[in-house]
Amino acid sequence: MKLQDLAQKLELKLVTAAFDKEVGGVYISDMVSDVIASAKAGDLLVTVQIHSNVIAAANLLDLCGIVVTQGKLPGDDVVKIAEKVEIPIYSTELNRWQMATRLYEAGIR
Amino acid sequence: MSSESRAPRYEMVNVRGGHVIIEHDVCSRAVRSYFAAEPNPPVEEYWEGRRLWRHWGAAQSVQFDVRDTTSGEVIPFRELLGLMYYACCREDRDLRRLGELAQEHRISIYVAITYETAEGEPTRLPQDKAAVLNGLFNDRVKDKSKKILILPDLFNLYREMTYGQVMIDFGLTAMAESR
Repeated sequence: MKLQDLAQKLELKLVTAAFDKEVGGVYISDMVSDVIASAKAGDLLVTVQIHSNVIAAANLLDLCGIVVTQGKLPGDDVVKIAEKVEIPIYSTELNRWQMATRLYEAGIR
Repeated sequence: MSSESRAPRYEMVNVRGGHVIIEHDVCSRAVRSYFAAEPNPPVEEYWEGRRLWRHWGAAQSVQFDVRDTTSGEVIPFRELLGLMYYACCREDRDLRRLGELAQEHRISIYVAITYETAEGEPTRLPQDKAAVLNGLFNDRVKDKSKKILILPDLFNLYREMTYGQVMIDFGLTAMAESR
């Protein structure tokens, strides 16, 4: 499923510019080291982290995008880094559990 | 089999959780860090020769090895503390400027930060192991117009940092070079 279509379906707020990405799976974690060790290329990262290191990890693993939960928003410097490496960031007021269930209901496995 | 669909040459294996321990020598002010796989990281101070090592901090992290699937060889990366992304450096650093130039060509630069020796001296990741890491991470990238470039610490970042930027999780907030 296209990330933009999924985002529209789940009413996610786009924080960066939009990039055409395909969602391959989902990984939920707030630990950058855990993301490095276990996420897969094409995964959508769901996290509460808004630090630039999350973008570094997402870029390293070629993740399709990041959903930041609980209404958190990354700073302008982080947005700039994400746009440079074409990692779209979305925001949602939902917590990670709620986001996980919505993703599952949307057909993401 | 097309080149786009061939199996990756390198894979991450033996992933183990633990803590990065950072200590300083009370006598000489040397700082060192190392990976401890124990569930509870050591915090007591202790003598080692003429050095009195005192706990400074600990953070959850992981350690891994890399297997070359063509030969079966497992290459350990016990010295690897983390990977610092160029954009997490201060703007006045050469690495930052180099990284900006490279990024315009979709090459993302990371620097491999390594642990210090028992004496608090830096160890630089050997070139051949940097090549393995480049193989590992580039094998995983689906967008082949993008490249990951992992460099040994040619910029002496160890002078200001004793921990990695990407693999370390320090109290659930990642670290950045102070501005």
